[in-house]
Amino acid sequence: MKTEILRALKKRPYGQVLTVPMIVLATYILLALAAPVIAPQNPYDPLQIYGWEASSSPGTPGSGGYLYLLGTDGLGRDILSTILYGLRISLVVSITSAAIAALIGLTAGVSAAYFGSWVDSAIMRLVDLQLSLPTILVALIAIVTLGPGIDRIILALIIAQWATYARLVRSVALSETNKSYMDAARLMRLPTSRIIFRHLLPNSIAPAVTLIPIEIGHAVALEATLSFLGLGVPIDKPSLGSAVANGFQYLLTGQYWTSLFPGLALFGLIASINFVGEDVRRHLDPRSRPV
Amino acid sequence: MALISVALGRLAQAFLLLLAMSLVGFLGIHSVGNPVFNIVNIETATPEDIRNATIALGLDQPIWHQYGVFISNVVRGNFGTSYIYHMPAFALVISKLPATLELACVAMLIAAPVGVGLGLLAGRQSGTVFDRIVLRSSVFALSIPSFWLSMMLILAGAILTGWFPSGGRGATASFLGQEWSVLTRNGFWHLFLPALALAIPNIALIARLSRSGTIEVENLDFTRFCRAKGLSPRRILLRHTLPNISMPIVTIIGLQFGGMLAFAVVVESIFAWPGVGKLLIDSIQLLDRPVVMATLTFISVTFVALNAFVDLFHAVLDPRVRLSS
Amino acid sequence: MTCETATPPLLQVRNLSLRHLSASGPITILQNVSFELGRGEIVGIIGESGAGKSTLGNAVLGLLAPEFQRTSGSIELDGRPIDPMGGDGDAIWGRRISAIFQDHTASLDPLMSVGAQVQETILAIDASVPRQEARARAVALLARVGIPQPERRYGNYPHQFSGGQRQRAVIAIALAGSPDIIIADEPTSALDATVQKQILKLLRTLVDDTGISIVLVTHDMGVVSEITDRVLVMRKGRVVEQDRTAVILDAPANNYTRSLLAAVPRLRLSATAGKGQANGNASISTNVGEGNTMLLVAKSVSKTFVRQGFVWNSSRNKAIFALRDVSIKLPRGTITGIVGESGSGKTTLGRIIAGLDRAPAGSVTIDGTQFDVSKNGRRSGLLSRVQMIFQDPAVSLNPRMSVGETLRESIRFGASLHPKEGPADAATMMDRLGLARSLIDRHPHQLSGGQKQRICIARALLAKPQIIIADEPTSALDVSVQAEIIQLLKDSITTQHMTMVFISHDLAVVQQLCSSLYIFKDGQVEDFGSSDFVFSQSKNPYTRALIDARPSRFTC
Repeated sequence: MKTEILRALKKRPYGQVLTVPMIVLATYILLALAAPVIAPQNPYDPLQIYGWEASSSPGTPGSGGYLYLLGTDGLGRDILSTILYGLRISLVVSITSAAIAALIGLTAGVSAAYFGSWVDSAIMRLVDLQLSLPTILVALIAIVTLGPGIDRIILALIIAQWATYARLVRSVALSETNKSYMDAARLMRLPTSRIIFRHLLPNSIAPAVTLIPIEIGHAVALEATLSFLGLGVPIDKPSLGSAVANGFQYLLTGQYWTSLFPGLALFGLIASINFVGEDVRRHLDPRSRPV
Repeated sequence: MALISVALGRLAQAFLLLLAMSLVGFLGIHSVGNPVFNIVNIETATPEDIRNATIALGLDQPIWHQYGVFISNVVRGNFGTSYIYHMPAFALVISKLPATLELACVAMLIAAPVGVGLGLLAGRQSGTVFDRIVLRSSVFALSIPSFWLSMMLILAGAILTGWFPSGGRGATASFLGQEWSVLTRNGFWHLFLPALALAIPNIALIARLSRSGTIEVENLDFTRFCRAKGLSPRRILLRHTLPNISMPIVTIIGLQFGGMLAFAVVVESIFAWPGVGKLLIDSIQLLDRPVVMATLTFISVTFVALNAFVDLFHAVLDPRVRLSS
Repeated sequence: MTCETATPPLLQVRNLSLRHLSASGPITILQNVSFELGRGEIVGIIGESGAGKSTLGNAVLGLLAPEFQRTSGSIELDGRPIDPMGGDGDAIWGRRISAIFQDHTASLDPLMSVGAQVQETILAIDASVPRQEARARAVALLARVGIPQPERRYGNYPHQFSGGQRQRAVIAIALAGSPDIIIADEPTSALDATVQKQILKLLRTLVDDTGISIVLVTHDMGVVSEITDRVLVMRKGRVVEQDRTAVILDAPANNYTRSLLAAVPRLRLSATAGKGQANGNASISTNVGEGNTMLLVAKSVSKTFVRQGFVWNSSRNKAIFALRDVSIKLPRGTITGIVGESGSGKTTLGRIIAGLDRAPAGSVTIDGTQFDVSKNGRRSGLLSRVQMIFQDPAVSLNPRMSVGETLRESIRFGASLHPKEGPADAATMMDRLGLARSLIDRHPHQLSGGQKQRICIARALLAKPQIIIADEPTSALDVSVQAEIIQLLKDSITTQHMTMVFISHDLAVVQQLCSSLYIFKDGQVEDFGSSDFVFSQSKNPYTRALIDARPSRFTC
């Protein structure tokens, strides 16, 4: 057991796993998990918020007995706490939607490739339809249709993102389907389920996996944008995007901290996810060029 | 001949896409609140008033009938009257168009040359320090949420330094019967920050895509053969590599122009730039259904048209399509 | 070539050693390679994959990738050293040394007309030539390499040319700067045999007429025998033997050369078994008599591919016949060959018989049961009666399954449909096919091409099919491995009295294996009969053309 781990570590030296973006991302996730413990204030609890301390600048001591390290927003919420709690919402929303979108896209893509004919046309027409519009527009239309709420925004993001996975997986699965080992499997008259799950899926899944981190990054940005436009998460439970939005009106009066810090946190999160995503892609698929 | 069939096929596809879009959009907007309360006062209205208003808006008809009316109106360019501005919705959208158009064009005039230039240089010397710097900074640039980027540009360019105005369109000059900011000094000053906000992520995207296009073409066998047959590197670049790279780059620029129209929604809202995007967001928040529909339809049509145009342009450039069969 | 002459040879390579700097350390690619090339001479460089022959070609051309490093030796042109990394490229490329690559499609810029690509080469070599004259010269060059109506085809783009014409255009470009040497790297490997023969003839004529010299890199002994004056035999980066072509072919000194030659299948044109040959090449026609019942009868199978115009414009859709009214019969317990060039429909028919593809018209009868080939193979019941061995072993095995899993799957699912015979076990089958049992836990990426193809054969046999279809099973393998696989197939089929269809473009292999054969052309059966008859007596002009296209050296 011990030697196995040692061997695995030797094969994969620390340098490949413990990159700076990976460490940053891990820190983000830990902070999000620990938010209720480490946040000075619960920004969702009105009893802990003191309205008269609204728009305090960074470093002001608060009457709750803690320091407003990054200041407070227009409602008197501690920015640091808002960021930590908002991080939870941003991460939950983006990871959930990316995972479900990946699952749907994988199923749709593999089915389209394997069954061909009308299944393929039906799925791919829909995919083409969606991908011919910018993701932000699809998400916008979806959220306008679905209305506000965290569950709705997850749904809107799934709608906006599944097609990307479906197209990628289909093209990979299609080229796999045309390889001789798939013909051999058909000649054995294997049950359809075995052909799909034993032969086609394992060989088509890698590109979808490499896409997940990148799409999580997109999802964070999309959710933030929708929330910023006031179409996403409810105002009393701000995500990072709506935290930035809350600070927008104060920006012109020079209270930069209400939007600067949540935005900085958001930028760091998306950047670390994107860099990790690129590393993952490079390692899993050495042929792929970064795009 | 082949060109005409490409064009016809593309047109039919675009038409189907629009039909589907309109259906989705119609159903979508239908589920957002009751617009009757926009034209009657909720506090004072009697049930009688509400009923009259409902009939006046055609909301008492079955939904498929409303869709039919909607489609036949759309075909005639009639999206109904804005509940808020009390003017034809489509005319309203068109009146906001010049603002968005000049914003997107200026942004693309910044993004395309810079992005293509960086991508070409990085791709031709892939693996070097310069290449890695371009790749890294592009990831950073693509990671900045566009709304926050806009706000930070306001903070840095307007509030802290006072170099640029923080929002609005500034002075305009009349040209072709429309008002354009870009023609006046003051207007251009107003235009600069929002255009930069739109351009930055697009510079990164265009740079990355043209970089990978360059690498792909440079690895093709014919560039090797061109060297073996005695062409100078300069000629290979200008006559063979560039024309071949230009195909994917034209596609990227065309599609990104459409993407800019979509992202203008965010940037315009922040810079209070009175364009189509800001109109869309305002109308969504005010439940101004005809305007939302007109705007979404307009953006989709533009996008689909751009797509089709890019495809056609591709067909013109590529003899394999132009001269097929 | 042995005695020193006053003037240096046109090209001289002396003790050239190269290594490749990869992430896992330097690998020696060429070791002490020496040869020389005189004017008006064609020198062949032959070897199997990994011999370093293409690297040698690129070194002479000065097109080595930067990861290569010269450790010793020199390349001299007219006695003056040149840089294998391309440092002297401007003075050499096109003017002194030019090239022809294997992939004629990738060699041409798809966006520029073929004529313009010839013309720009002429102008690049000599900028003082007026454009009109360069154009006239380009037309003359296209005519010289045998492109019909060159004036009219001048403005055509590469995709409007056929494969052979594209390679001719590439040759025209290579000639444009009147170089002294052309490096031709597998110039005919991507072409059909009949076209290959024409291109080789063209190259020989060019050498004889203009005094140009050619270094011809190839894996194909046939190509070497056809046009070269001298041959270098390479193996693992070393030259194992070099001599005049006739000497190499008739009296090779080196064992490796001998084994390479022995592995080349020979076509016999006389019906009588003739002089005994190595490997017992006598055809196995004896089985035909024993049970002359037909195991499989395919009747009037037709299939068209629709080349799509664009949607809603169906008048532009073009039907192209992949198969037109094809009928074949397979006698029980024999091997039947299907021969044809690319696009002849031979693979399409194989896939229809196997139940992998549908055909709108025709029927297939196996062992008295008729199957509806217009239906999905699973539904018609055709699927699983036939197993196939595919062309490219690299993609014939599921990369995520171990050898054992692949073989057990075949026993569990494939053979379960024919329970009466009882499953054989994977290990015994591996023994029989000469595969070490230790390979059973390996995954495909850990196997060589030959091993993979053996596993594919094992998989097909373990499923106990009534018929096996082998679709060019050796064309992706090195010559020496090819011979082993052919022998293996022959042994397994004959000892088990199985019935096999062997699809190939190589007449000699078909003759060696098959008792009867069909010759396909453009989706139709052009000629058929017993092997003996077709090769010795058939008067069919296409059959004769195919036979003539073979290197005469390996036809007797």
